[in-house]
Amino acid sequence: MSLTVKCRLRWFGAILFWAFASNADTLSTTQTLSVGIAPLGKLSVPSTISLIAPGTTFSPYTGELAVSYRVRTTPTAGGGLITMQTTSDFSPSGGPSISGGALRYGCNGATLGTPCSGTQTVPGTAQVTVLTVPSGVCTGGGAGGCSAADPNSLQILLNLDNDPQFQTGNYSANITFTISAT
Amino acid sequence: MKRVLFSLLVVTLVLLTPNAFAQFNTTGTTTVSVAVVAEASIRIDTPTTTLSTAGTIFNDYTGTTSFTYRIRTGKDSGTGNIQLLVGPDFSPAGGPSVGTPPSAGDTLSYNCTVSSSGTACTGPLVASTTTPRNVATFGANARSTKAGDSGSVSWILTNDPVYETGTYSATVTFTISAT
Repeated sequence: MSLTVKCRLRWFGAILFWAFASNADTLSTTQTLSVGIAPLGKLSVPSTISLIAPGTTFSPYTGELAVSYRVRTTPTAGGGLITMQTTSDFSPSGGPSISGGALRYGCNGATLGTPCSGTQTVPGTAQVTVLTVPSGVCTGGGAGGCSAADPNSLQILLNLDNDPQFQTGNYSANITFTISAT
Repeated sequence: MKRVLFSLLVVTLVLLTPNAFAQFNTTGTTTVSVAVVAEASIRIDTPTTTLSTAGTIFNDYTGTTSFTYRIRTGKDSGTGNIQLLVGPDFSPAGGPSVGTPPSAGDTLSYNCTVSSSGTACTGPLVASTTTPRNVATFGANARSTKAGDSGSVSWILTNDPVYETGTYSATVTFTISAT
């Protein structure tokens, strides 16, 4: 059962409880509530992105990838990262190759944290950091170190060589983004 | 009872409404896709080619125009070519002419070379002011280097005594295409 369905069933139970309980007698009691707020990070990326070459012949293929994220870091000595890693190179063979250094990336427009700087080559399979989140921040609310934006967003600019040596055809690769928070 | 029914309605709507929000997780994977298509471009490396004669009197004028091209043709059934067309013709009047040669047999002809990505014309071919003439052809899955492959056209212009002395110039346009 997916997490989403579980959440909906919990809501279902809560609303039913409220509906039936409201017909019962009213009691008053005191309850002490405590909660441990842990550092947390979650992100969302589009399932696909198409790289497109502008009109000029053999100009690079480019695309912009929007990463949405929510993060909460520990006030002292905490922090967070979003990393990017190639999980499968372009296929079929005969076209561009990430391990061959054909794909570059840049970061832009982070609404929380510090994006990577400059344009760099996507390494074969190694993880690269595209965003660094400082300690004591969180997504949403706009106060107390929290961003006004919810979710936060980061633009990843992808730039792929347009080498005449590539055979014509459709090629695809997978890139995985991971967020961590402490 | 009304409240119970209302609650059931709300719950039903919550369960049936499509998730309008993106899924957030600690990891997310994107498929990056690209469509690589046939393309071609050419750069003339000899913007002005001077034709000159040497040796025996009334030897033809000769010269070479070099170019660099990049090409990618369709993998399975693609083709490509490089063509040239003269125009405007030599000017001023009184000298050689491609379109209206002053004497029968006066021509601007040429031979071709290209890298192994293509097949050069079998010359000498006669240039024209009306019909593009072949310089090179490319088959399916022809691919140049990233920096570009090289080629050249070696010109041969008749040295007709009827030409008045002077300096004459014409423009030649090279066109490359790929499918």
